[in-house]
Amino acid sequence: MKRIILILFPVFFTFQIYSQFSPGFVEQCATNSGKDATYLKDFQVVLNAALPEQVPPIARYPLVLSKNNIYRFSLCTPEDSPGKAILQLFDSNQLIFSSYNKETGEEYNPFNFLCQKTGIYHVFISFQEGKEGHTVGILSFVSK
Amino acid sequence: MLRQTTILFLTVLFLFSCQSRKGKESGTEFEVPDSVITAEALTISNEALEEIVQNVSSPIEMAALIKEIGVPFSTKYLATTDYVDRYNTSFKMAYSLGVFGADLGYLNIYDKSNQVIDFLTAINKLADGIKVGQFFDFETLKRLATSRESIDSLMYISVNSFNNMDSYLRDNNRGHLSALMIAGTWVEGMYLVTQVASEKSNPELSERIGEQKINLNNIMLILDNYKEHEQVMKVIESLDGLKEEFDKVEITYVIGEPETVEQGGMIMIVQNEKSVVNISDEQLNKIISKTKQIRNKLISV
Repeated sequence: MKRIILILFPVFFTFQIYSQFSPGFVEQCATNSGKDATYLKDFQVVLNAALPEQVPPIARYPLVLSKNNIYRFSLCTPEDSPGKAILQLFDSNQLIFSSYNKETGEEYNPFNFLCQKTGIYHVFISFQEGKEGHTVGILSFVSK
Repeated sequence: MLRQTTILFLTVLFLFSCQSRKGKESGTEFEVPDSVITAEALTISNEALEEIVQNVSSPIEMAALIKEIGVPFSTKYLATTDYVDRYNTSFKMAYSLGVFGADLGYLNIYDKSNQVIDFLTAINKLADGIKVGQFFDFETLKRLATSRESIDSLMYISVNSFNNMDSYLRDNNRGHLSALMIAGTWVEGMYLVTQVASEKSNPELSERIGEQKINLNNIMLILDNYKEHEQVMKVIESLDGLKEEFDKVEITYVIGEPETVEQGGMIMIVQNEKSVVNISDEQLNKIISKTKQIRNKLISV
């Protein structure tokens, strides 16, 4: 019986840790977007590693952005995340921008987006080389 | 052994699924535990609904635009918290929770800590009333509002509280209350921006109002999912007239490729594909008038 308790406890404990970030961590990320930016929403992502020859897992979030607004997208990745996070912004099927340039290895975190078309966009978050990882994406509103 | 394992598993599952609750005032309606409420018959899946909910833009952006165009703060745009004790049905409570949430966003943007406390108190009462008070961190929000430590922390905890309430309601077959809350937030945000537009003519404001056609379509989809609830149906009927006016607003698009520029040491992507909202003064005035009528009707005691 004791063995069953010992087996079940770590299962739930692990779930509690990795199912979400602590509110303190996310709040800290929300406050780090810059003095000219106001927090709007966050995307909490925990992804497993891709299996061999598998497409890397991607978290996808829809969002409405409004014309004439400048939005800031930032990634806040804990040091213990094995994978480095990538945030991509899509308008329908068209990639608008990626926070990581695979060819040059350059990372752009944060980046701003001057929206000129009100509509539904999608944020995709994944990890470089399909590694396992956890990160928090932050969307903020930038004062002009 | 199997029986012991099953009991142990169910006990652990129960312990982990329990939500901590603060002391509650008793509501005026009989409380049905979430566990025994039968599943709501939804026309669209919960997953699709979640996406639509995410597709309703934040009223904070409206408030920020109003501030940016130089409109001074005014309490006349806000709903009164005086009658909060008289909102005694779950419908009124959920709807008003959304209304006060939108007003809270306006107050936060204008940094009005004195009035914020009144709204936080009202929201706390209403959240307790529909049994989601455990997700509203009143004490922390009150501290942040009065200390003005960080607007982002205040925004994060406010947004997070509303998201948690919304998810909890939908996960526990009370999605109609979540839909009412979302509708209340949107209508109040609309009221705020249309009232400002009625006093100050501004092309950006008119365009932003016209664009709300997209949000209204999403709100209608959310509400439609719960139309078997009489009170939700009443909100749908109220918004139908406004939707008719929005259907006349045209949004066209100009194609263009995005470009990347550097500004202040940071990359900025400038979108060159543009949306153009065609809204006449007559259409705008009808939307302003209908919004006022609907908003005042739905928050009346």
